[in-house]
Amino acid sequence: MHVSEEVLTQLLSATEEVFETMVFKPVSRQDPIEDNSVRPPGNVVATVAFAGHRRGLVAFHSSLGTARTIAGAMLGMPAEAINGEMPDAIGEVANMIAGSFRTKLAALEPPSAIAIPTVTIGSDFSTKYLSQVNRVLCPFQMEDELIYIELILTGEPS
Amino acid sequence: MRFLVVDDSSTMRRIIINTLTKLGYKECHEAGNGREGFDKLATTPVDMVITDWNMPEMSGIEFIRAIRGNDATKTLPILMVTTNAAQDDIVEAMKAGVNNYVVKPFTPDTIKEKIEAALNAA
Repeated sequence: MHVSEEVLTQLLSATEEVFETMVFKPVSRQDPIEDNSVRPPGNVVATVAFAGHRRGLVAFHSSLGTARTIAGAMLGMPAEAINGEMPDAIGEVANMIAGSFRTKLAALEPPSAIAIPTVTIGSDFSTKYLSQVNRVLCPFQMEDELIYIELILTGEPS
Repeated sequence: MRFLVVDDSSTMRRIIINTLTKLGYKECHEAGNGREGFDKLATTPVDMVITDWNMPEMSGIEFIRAIRGNDATKTLPILMVTTNAAQDDIVEAMKAGVNNYVVKPFTPDTIKEKIEAALNAA
């Protein structure tokens, strides 16, 4: 299954913009992975679903330490001081990436609407998709750490 | 200049308040949804409201309509900061009564420009 280059470009661009302007830590894109069997490592997953012209979700994946670094950078606090603030911050990162992605796509095609973000923190869990999906996993380097942005699209655009 | 920042995300409230502080605006109040924000306006006079759109209890659009429907607050400048950036969204917000609109992600320069534009439009 394949995600088009045009759609992928909007996702990569949205992610870079959010990290540069709101996280204050630029990221550099790595080669996207379209192998459905590859699962991103990490203990923190934030997802934002969307529906309308397209249906699917955008997911953020990182380690707990990286999520705290991101939250600290957003809030202007040291990562060590971050605890309860992290889920809200990571949810907002996913929300902004999905929102910006949706806005960029809406300039090219009919719009979709995004849902509220959901954040899962833990270990030893995996995600299974219950239908045939188009999926791409986009790794980004942020300083010495990797984050992953995953795009799931289901069905054809309406 | 005094601001009321209304957003259900504590992270986004902090980012906006940090941005306002960097721009030289030191007096910022905050609320977690439109209902809280509207209640706060009754006791805390401000010069501008900056509000999110999607919030529990009372959304940004409902909050703006409440402000515009109240004699004490109906001329208050309002800036909306949101990820809702489709043309239809902007039209709906303008109809509700916002003075200007910022799409997330944003830069401090954008916030500064939009505050000035919202003040001029009020």
